[in-house]
Amino acid sequence: MRSHRAVAFVVGMIAVLAAAMLAATSFAGSSASSGSVTIAIGGEPSTLDPLVRDDGNERAVTQSIFETLMGRTADGKSLYPKLAIAAPKRVAPSAWRFKLRPGVKFTDGEPFNADSVVASVKHVLDPKANSEQVGYLGSLKGAKKVNNLTVDILTKGTDPILPSRMYWLRMIPAKWQSISDFASKPVGTGPYVFSEWSRGDHITLTANPSYWGSPKPTIQSVTYKFVPEGSTQVAGLAAGNFNLITNLIPEDAKRAPKAIAVRSTEHPIFILNARPGPQTTANTKVRQAMNYALDKNAIASKLFLGYATVDAGQLLSPSAFGFDPKTKAYPYDVAKAKQLVQQAGATGKKVSIVGESGRWLKDRELIELAAQSWRSIGLDVDVKFYAFPQYLNRLFDQKNRPDVVFVSSSNELYDADRPFTTYYELSGIGASNSDKQLQTWIDKARTELNVNKRAALYHAAVNKARQQAYFAWLVNYEGLWGMSKNVQWQPRSDGFIFLNTMKLAG
Amino acid sequence: MGRFAIGRIVQGLVVVFCVTVVVFVTTRLVGDPVKVMLPFESTPEQRAAFRHQIGFDRPILTQFREYIENLAQGDFGNSLLQDRPTIRIVLEHLPATFELVFAGIALAVLIAVPLGVIAALRPGGVVDRVSVFLSLIGLSVPQFFLGILLILFFAVELQWLPASGKGGLDHLILPALTLALPAVGRLAMIARSSMIDELGNAYVQTAKAKGIPHWRVVGIHALRNAFIPVLTLTGWELIRALAGYSVVVETVFAWPGVGYLAYQAIQDQDLFLLQTIVLVIAVLVVFVNVGIDILYRAVDPRIKLA
Repeated sequence: MRSHRAVAFVVGMIAVLAAAMLAATSFAGSSASSGSVTIAIGGEPSTLDPLVRDDGNERAVTQSIFETLMGRTADGKSLYPKLAIAAPKRVAPSAWRFKLRPGVKFTDGEPFNADSVVASVKHVLDPKANSEQVGYLGSLKGAKKVNNLTVDILTKGTDPILPSRMYWLRMIPAKWQSISDFASKPVGTGPYVFSEWSRGDHITLTANPSYWGSPKPTIQSVTYKFVPEGSTQVAGLAAGNFNLITNLIPEDAKRAPKAIAVRSTEHPIFILNARPGPQTTANTKVRQAMNYALDKNAIASKLFLGYATVDAGQLLSPSAFGFDPKTKAYPYDVAKAKQLVQQAGATGKKVSIVGESGRWLKDRELIELAAQSWRSIGLDVDVKFYAFPQYLNRLFDQKNRPDVVFVSSSNELYDADRPFTTYYELSGIGASNSDKQLQTWIDKARTELNVNKRAALYHAAVNKARQQAYFAWLVNYEGLWGMSKNVQWQPRSDGFIFLNTMKLAG
Repeated sequence: MGRFAIGRIVQGLVVVFCVTVVVFVTTRLVGDPVKVMLPFESTPEQRAAFRHQIGFDRPILTQFREYIENLAQGDFGNSLLQDRPTIRIVLEHLPATFELVFAGIALAVLIAVPLGVIAALRPGGVVDRVSVFLSLIGLSVPQFFLGILLILFFAVELQWLPASGKGGLDHLILPALTLALPAVGRLAMIARSSMIDELGNAYVQTAKAKGIPHWRVVGIHALRNAFIPVLTLTGWELIRALAGYSVVVETVFAWPGVGYLAYQAIQDQDLFLLQTIVLVIAVLVVFVNVGIDILYRAVDPRIKLA
């Protein structure tokens, strides 16, 4: 009798739970109706002011609200005028003149003109705004209105890549300060208009019916959901809750209804300490051996499941300015690597790797794999994984360079200047060499206006660094995007999402 | 009772202050937020200017003094990234965490207590074995894994429930269940053992001898006494869920609560926001603890709150 009651109780409980679940299913959201899409991004934007934070989630949303003076083709190879009407002209060693597109309006009705450009530059440079984007804007010093539709952008010295930087700097209304809560309710000239921000949950944009440019937006409403977990994004895509996801890993590509890969600008790399000193990597032969020991093709095909290309020994993708097509990756040759280590008398000598885990795609796997490859050629390799903030302390510590430090570099400006100034040039914050010649070339290239001469300087730098093996180059991996079947969209190499290039089938 | 409660609250405030100091010092010792926030390729000058702007170039004692002074005036500081008051951001996310944690723990108690009691009625019986087995599974499976399994089964395969986010009741079920299942394991074990102890007591025999119906003996007399350890553990579960498990569960389910916020703040090294999150959670933990102590007395008037 007792046990009957007990069983009845358990059955009752289960029935209540099941009923609750079944009742709930009737509320469960189905896939997006036509005319709207839902995009999962990795986190909530910190702000929607497009000029203060270096935040990929903010960019994912504001990229379709705000526009830039220059645009860039999807493959990243060339710039074209967007809010400018033509390519800029140099009018002084440190001034570029932009003619602006007439008739463009912000969605609150304010016209786009020279005042907007001056206000945007002023905002990004304002110390009070504390902008994290200054790192991309390099020598930017100010902007001067010439007339209503002409503006001079001023730089601290000669800056040949200022036009590329203008693909980064988004234009805000001149009177942005009088717009109430601009950082939460942004107003731009772009194909989409801000509609709603439900904190912690979603942001919705709607199509701008009077968008000046092309293509015109075809999807009426776009909702961004903040989903940090990659596996939750894929599950949501498979369940029909999302139409596009941004954090897709190669292993999950098959689970997505549709996955598209595009060569990105991301290059994971090992910086080898080539400075004079007692460390094992001070010997060029050892550094070269470390390059020969890495099977880059296997890394691309096995670790990245084919979603990667071997880095041609230069930290640059072919779309970046300065890429040298003649320079090739070190071939995979274990016998030669062993021989070089022996010649250098480095067999059994210690090499320490500084690494981190979880920040970049397959970072831990790459580090473990390299350590194993280097052990197999006779080096005594020791790996230390640090939490990200401590790892950065080691990466940027110029007084005590680690033997080997892992890093991943992306190249949003599609130019050798930024990565080379940071990692190749001896004064760079992440550099581990003492090559004065390399420094001279990179310094010269920074201000060289002749395109061919500038390219030649970078090619020289690429060659020297490759021959001296200042790095162990790995692969250039692809950005992977998961989509529902009804979304038609071609991702870009810079990973930017321009919603007006997206369509819904059927 | 009143004096006791005040004493406990004062003790709690001391704990909160200590937590504040520890968080303030460790977040600054662990790493330099400027390095994480600015693009890697920023120049040392840009880094120095940024560091100066956020006041990190001043002596740590000066920073701490200002922080405490501002706190005393109710100013928790602005988020480094969002440039909004951190307390406002935390309060925006707190209701979602409460909803999830209370639903999860209530679900856990509702499942665990009957399961434990039934198991205790026939130790070694089928229900007992099954419940111990299920409890062990609940205890052993890591929560992020459990969450993903539930998503794959209920959202992707069956398509009954949404995979993530916050919305109607349907959105709450999977994250609450993920939070509840490990707690069910622990609570059911405690409910079972404490019920077995109670049922062996002389007063249960006496009550039975007096002819009191079995369900009354078990469901009222014994259960009430067996409930004390369950209550203790429920409080502990509530605290653990608020102060820890919610980070995992909210991140897996993109549930917009304080745990998810903490995960983002750590990723972005938004130290000011992180400080406020820890402070608010610490205050909540203290409140829950005091609340549980007071509830003890309601359940068992013999307990002296001295």
